[in-house]
Amino acid sequence: MASTTPKPVKKPARKPLLSRVPADFVRAVLKGHSALGLAFAAAIYLVCLTGTVAVFAQEFERWEHPAAPQQATPSPNAVQQALASAIARNGAPAEHGYIQMPTPALPFLSAHVEGEDGYRGWIANAQGNLVESGQSPWTLFITRLHINLHLPQTWGVFLVGLTGVALLSSLISGILAHPRIFRDAFHLRIGGSRRLQEADLHNRLGVWALPFHVLVSLSGALLGLTTLIVGVLGMALFQGDVGKVYELFLPAEPIDDPRPAPTIDLVPMFAQLQTIAPDGRITLVQLEHPGEMGGAALFQVEQDNGRLGNTDSFAFRRDGTLYYDARSADNNLGEAILASLGKLHFGWFGGGIIKIAYALLGLGLTYLASSGVTIWLARRRDKRNAAPGWEKLWAGTVWGQPAALAAAALAGVVGGAETPVSVLIGLWGAITVVSLCSAALPASAAQIGRGFQWLSAVLLIATALFHAFALPGSDPIAWIVDLSLFAIGVTIGWWAYSRKPAPANQAVP
Amino acid sequence: MVIAPLLAAPPIIGGGALAAWMLRRAWRARGDEGGGWRWGGWLVLIATIALPAWWLGPARGPFIAVTLASVAGLAVVASGVTIKTARARREGKSGGDDSLAPEPLDRPTTRWRSILRWSLAGPIGMIAAMAVGICYAVWVPGEPQTRLLIGGLIVPVVWGGAMAWTLADNRIIRATAVLGGTALAGFGLAILKGFG
Repeated sequence: MASTTPKPVKKPARKPLLSRVPADFVRAVLKGHSALGLAFAAAIYLVCLTGTVAVFAQEFERWEHPAAPQQATPSPNAVQQALASAIARNGAPAEHGYIQMPTPALPFLSAHVEGEDGYRGWIANAQGNLVESGQSPWTLFITRLHINLHLPQTWGVFLVGLTGVALLSSLISGILAHPRIFRDAFHLRIGGSRRLQEADLHNRLGVWALPFHVLVSLSGALLGLTTLIVGVLGMALFQGDVGKVYELFLPAEPIDDPRPAPTIDLVPMFAQLQTIAPDGRITLVQLEHPGEMGGAALFQVEQDNGRLGNTDSFAFRRDGTLYYDARSADNNLGEAILASLGKLHFGWFGGGIIKIAYALLGLGLTYLASSGVTIWLARRRDKRNAAPGWEKLWAGTVWGQPAALAAAALAGVVGGAETPVSVLIGLWGAITVVSLCSAALPASAAQIGRGFQWLSAVLLIATALFHAFALPGSDPIAWIVDLSLFAIGVTIGWWAYSRKPAPANQAVP
Repeated sequence: MVIAPLLAAPPIIGGGALAAWMLRRAWRARGDEGGGWRWGGWLVLIATIALPAWWLGPARGPFIAVTLASVAGLAVVASGVTIKTARARREGKSGGDDSLAPEPLDRPTTRWRSILRWSLAGPIGMIAAMAVGICYAVWVPGEPQTRLLIGGLIVPVVWGGAMAWTLADNRIIRATAVLGGTALAGFGLAILKGFG
């Protein structure tokens, strides 16, 4: 006999919030995500790749000067001597001067001067004598490529800022288009269908490193759009006077007095700083018109107080009068954010461990930009609408850049510190053009990719070996950079060698 | 007292990895069995990010922790990788059990709609975002530097959001009206008060 006891009614399981997002909404957002990603893929890829390398700008600068004299705290007299020698060696009157004081990350004393005929610099020894050129062409090349793509400053910086906005927008739409964000949180399936593998890698990297992605895209977008934002602020609120916006953040310009004068004397200013900032470490001295009566010096003094924006600023007139005193401990929120932006963007706030983490996460972000296009290409193949031309173009773009950057590095090392940056730009540009034109070759995307992988490997290994044997030095960082370049070259070469030829129906950039 | 990041790194990386491992236990559990692991994982993650504020600086510590914890979390995800057998799939077959993301919407469009859509995502979105940022800087109380910086940060966020929205929204006239209205209202309100 059947039981008459009513069965307890089972409550339907409640779906997670994101699973209840309407499918049409997800598909519409995915459409936008896809369109934006494709439109900006190459720019995002280039900016992310160069940004990943630029994290190690200080290490590369040391690598370009492996035998430069290292010091901890030069005497004020040595700094004065270095400045006077740099101005004398430059010949033409200096409009501005920059003295880079030794820091743990960059333990050189260097003096740079800027006049009508350009910008030159030298590294000085403990006595303040200039011993070698302070130019670092490869470091300058890679950082400027990241900051303004070597385009005219205003347009280049804006384009990079726009790329940051596009990346930020892609992050927003990527999250909205991912209703299975929690359900797939730990799925990582490699080796099956190409599309599933790329989607898993794309989504896991995108989600687990999301704070980093938001941080670098937001800070990069703001840094890139600063000129535009300040310009609009000035127009809308200060009757077109953008100087009033900058005045809120920067010390006032010294009163102009162009009468010629002996080189500004920094020694009494160092003495004053011993009193007003005894625990700080001077990292940079910026000079305005050091050979004029209206000259002034701005000292940046780092405090070891755990703050992100930990730099105090002190500005002195030629006669040693302190006319600007801004302490990081007194920063309001806006000033603190401004002081932190650059450090947070480049990963220069936690020593070597954070730089390594930034490089890993930056590489992941670079892969994210690349895999977005790979997924789109794979989807087209799945729908019997393959785009072999685009596959080849993307393979050339993705693998042409490591080769182009490595060629620029090799040129910088072979040519030495006085190599004009334009040579590096020309070489990088030529390989970039060749990589794009390679799409016209009668070869598959996989073959094009493999060709540039081999080229990258050879150039990286050659750079490491040439540097190690032709430019020996005692700086351990230079040896670590050489070893890293060699290891990356070997890894890329092994990757190119060991990959099986892809099936003809797979898009493989 | 502030300590060196290298000293703080091992506990932070350990905390991040432990949190991710606990969350993975919850993710692998059936039904409600993983509730404890889930709560524990989130607690460990929050502690891993918050505690370095005392060791490494109030803002610097959490930023260092978030960076290292992300790397640790990814390492845990990578440790659970599933290796599948490679197979060449026939074109036009997308693999039934592969749980791929939904397909992007296939919507008909015209050249003018495309131009308008990208104009909204680009210059019009930028102007609207500027208007919101400047309006914030003008109307919200506080130190002028703080208002300007927060206003500046608002610009890329709003522009990015506008880009994501206009490229996704099928109702393009609605997007045009909202962005145009935002720009007019934002600049109008900002000029009305002025920066004081």
